[in-house]
Amino acid sequence: MRASAWWITALVRLYPRGYRERHAAELASAMHACIDRERQRGVNASVTTVRLALDAVSASILVRRDLRRSRRLLPTLHGDSLMQSLLHEIRYSIRLLARAPLFGALVIGTLALAIGANTAIFSVVNGVLLRSLPYESPERLVLLNKGVNFQETFGFSAPDFVAFRERARSYDGLAAYRTGEFELSGVATPERIKAAKISASLIDVLGVQPALGRGFTAEEDEGRQAVAILSDALWRRSFGSDPSVVGKAVMLDRRAYTIVGVMPARAPFPSSGPRLNNVPAAVFVPISFTAGELRAFGSNYNKTVVARLKPGVSIEQARAEAAAISRQIGADVYPAELRDLGSNLATTVTSMQEEVVGNVRRILYVLLGAVGVVLLIACADIACLMLTRAAGRERELAIRTALGADRGRVMRLVLMETGVLAVAGAAVGVALAWWGQRALLAAAPIDIPRAQEIGFDVRVLAFTLTVSIAAALLTGVLPAWEASRRDSNTALKEGGRTGSAGGVRQRRIFAGLVTLQFACAVVLLAAGGLLIQSFVRLMAVDPGIKTDHVMSAATSLPASSYRTAADVRSFYGRLLDGARNLPGVTAVGASTELPLTVHERRVFTLENPPAAAANLPRATAHDVVLGQYFEAIGARVVSGRPFSDSDTLTSEPVVIVNETLARRYWLGEDPVGRRLAWGNPNNHGPWMRVIGVIADIKQTGLAAATEPQTWQPWVQLPDQLLASNVVSFRSLRLMVRSQGPPAALVPAIRDQVRALDPALPVSDVQTLDDIVAASGGPQRFNAALLGGFAGIALLLAALGVGGVLAITVSRRTQEIGVRLALGADAGAVVLMVIRQGMTLVAAGLVIGLPLAFAATRLLKSLLFETTPHDPVAFTGATVVLCAVACAACAAPAIRASRVSPMRALRLD
Amino acid sequence: MLRPLPDLPPHWFQILLALADEDRHGLGIMNDVLERTDGRMKLWPGMLYRNLSKLVEAELVVEVDTPPGAASGGGRPRFYHLTPIGRRACAAEAQRLNGFVQAARRKKLLKA
Repeated sequence: MRASAWWITALVRLYPRGYRERHAAELASAMHACIDRERQRGVNASVTTVRLALDAVSASILVRRDLRRSRRLLPTLHGDSLMQSLLHEIRYSIRLLARAPLFGALVIGTLALAIGANTAIFSVVNGVLLRSLPYESPERLVLLNKGVNFQETFGFSAPDFVAFRERARSYDGLAAYRTGEFELSGVATPERIKAAKISASLIDVLGVQPALGRGFTAEEDEGRQAVAILSDALWRRSFGSDPSVVGKAVMLDRRAYTIVGVMPARAPFPSSGPRLNNVPAAVFVPISFTAGELRAFGSNYNKTVVARLKPGVSIEQARAEAAAISRQIGADVYPAELRDLGSNLATTVTSMQEEVVGNVRRILYVLLGAVGVVLLIACADIACLMLTRAAGRERELAIRTALGADRGRVMRLVLMETGVLAVAGAAVGVALAWWGQRALLAAAPIDIPRAQEIGFDVRVLAFTLTVSIAAALLTGVLPAWEASRRDSNTALKEGGRTGSAGGVRQRRIFAGLVTLQFACAVVLLAAGGLLIQSFVRLMAVDPGIKTDHVMSAATSLPASSYRTAADVRSFYGRLLDGARNLPGVTAVGASTELPLTVHERRVFTLENPPAAAANLPRATAHDVVLGQYFEAIGARVVSGRPFSDSDTLTSEPVVIVNETLARRYWLGEDPVGRRLAWGNPNNHGPWMRVIGVIADIKQTGLAAATEPQTWQPWVQLPDQLLASNVVSFRSLRLMVRSQGPPAALVPAIRDQVRALDPALPVSDVQTLDDIVAASGGPQRFNAALLGGFAGIALLLAALGVGGVLAITVSRRTQEIGVRLALGADAGAVVLMVIRQGMTLVAAGLVIGLPLAFAATRLLKSLLFETTPHDPVAFTGATVVLCAVACAACAAPAIRASRVSPMRALRLD
Repeated sequence: MLRPLPDLPPHWFQILLALADEDRHGLGIMNDVLERTDGRMKLWPGMLYRNLSKLVEAELVVEVDTPPGAASGGGRPRFYHLTPIGRRACAAEAQRLNGFVQAARRKKLLKA
């Protein structure tokens, strides 16, 4: 090595590494050669050294600059690895987008909205439908219910359950449960909590072990011991997650229950569903059938049975066995006088998963399909934008092609840009979805099952990734293809002008994309329109009550503090009197059930029924009421009178019926004065005289047909019933009608209750308006979501047609200028542009309407009094779509009409 | 129709000219240019190699394998070869310069 080597090495080190590695040896030897040469020419060595140093410094700076520039423009010409070149391309795409922030923001915003909506809906679909239930081998869990051919299903009675369990061979285990409520006291604020009374075997049937402690033993169940298992939520909320809670007491209905276990958070029970329809229980106690309950054939069909199929037993086999057992029980186990009823009872077997999520499956898939369509429309919008942008990049891409980039590489460059946009859109979209999913659940009606299990998991993120890749491809492939097929020479010659050659072709592509958007939009609009119309019709249904200015609140008297019937009567008597004397109150009543959610069904018998009605099934919805109940809820008395103070425990038992019952069983004759009784003709209770007929009130929501219904005065309930632990007669829902806003009464009502019993919680405070609105909740939710998606779709489609027209107009500026110069008037130009836009919209309609016609059939089960091909909804969708499209076309049309002929002609 | 080529910077022209008759390595180019211009154009190593990279990028020259028995410039030097485009660009530049020379002749600044 020569002596000068170190500073030459130092100079070489000035260059960037990749460059240095390639050229170091040559640079060094060239520098040595220069030193030798200059020395021979008699130049001072130090002068040469300075000269070489200056050269190295300036060359290294320029090399670095070249590298930066070429990374931007020519990523892979350095022989980098594929990964490196991809990184370069990504960086380059980001830089390009940074130079067009508005474009970037628009595309990312649109994608975020579409991807976010897809992610949010998918997360719900995933949580509700795709994830299996949080129990062991949930596919083997079934729910058993009883049903009579003509009616909805209901639960088992205690003797039915015992008899069925003894005979069934298809199951590894069976358990019964029924839901209820308890007053939770001994905590900061007494409250009413949801409870489930369960067979000891339930925990084994579900295959869920308590997180703390243990489940119930058979002895505790049979021995009616006061033991309780807490839900995870209650354990955290009211017991501060105390790990030593097992063995301590919890006060339920003012009785001490020993806590034996805490259920795990991941397995709430019961799940809600069409028949389960419950929020998960906060506390579990043994179901502990009494001897009386076990003998009570023909009543209290209120226990749901959960069973685990033996491995290998199909649900069809279980159904066949259940049918046989039901016949056997009806014939052999039911007492002779109830054989009639018993032999009519069938047993239904449904998979638990189906039971829990069956009723929301359709709407969730419809919503998922709808957001998918929104994504498609958004992608078409972005594809139009990208096409325009790719046209602007033509010169750059042509240079690349001229410099050796092949077609695939040019496509990759354009796709890279949409890829970067899709990733950014997905990132914002996931954040939106996170927020949107919460908003969705908050807005959702209570009966979205498994709502607490909805969240983001790997599957949701994988879905988002797939959607984003699909979006990148959908938006990018067409512009990329178009960019890559442009001839580089033409592009370079045209100098970036988007000229006529690609123009016709591109206009066709734009036309295709806009047509596609409107075809999709009309499908969503028709579907949204149908659901909105269905909702409007539902809300127009007369519930049979005047819902304004009425407040409802529930109280339930624990048997441990209110031991006798007199205690119970006295409490409610004083509560109603107190409430009636509150200022502004016009009527006060109470009932065991709420209007629109009447659960109780009874079998009844008519005295001397008309022959034509003799063979009708005799089941009626039933409610027990107190005070001025009918006045409070604004029910209309059609005939006879409402209950009054003259109806007492000692007077003749009376009953009020609704119009449907009167019409169906007395065939339109006035039933006032006739008599009916609970039970069967050959085994019935005491006769009750019909004293009035009330105009129909909906019992199971606005959408359901009105059933026959009866009302009985609470004061005529026998003492032993009120004194017993039958909660339903001790829990009354106060109905208070007032002149002012009903919410203003709430504190006064709470004070009334507190004055009578400081420990008694008041629950379910709501207005009658809320109750009716809640009944339309699912329909409102469906209509709002699908209507919202249709609105977004329409907006995106309008942006699409508006944008495409704006591009077309700007490209035809010259032509339009010539027309105007030749004397065309502005109106004609406006019409020409609008016609051009509306032609595409019309094409979209021609394709979209038949599609909509086919697609809306899927909505059939979700519609109320609306056919899937409702002409009003379809016409409405078409009109709205045309109006919005017309408005979207107007802006570019007006701009076209204002083109200055002179400027247009100078443009080139 | 061939694309018109832009004017070449003088040192690019000299480098291309050096490669017009044979493939050379960097040091060879440096010396050739120095001799041909009577020492008027000195290509210093840093600038020489940077410009060679740019010429490769523009596809006017390509790197080729070291020809057998070629004069070594230290280690295993890279040899450069004029591409057809490079040759055309160099010829076009020479033509352009020739035009100036002709003009100078016509104006009697140079002898014919």
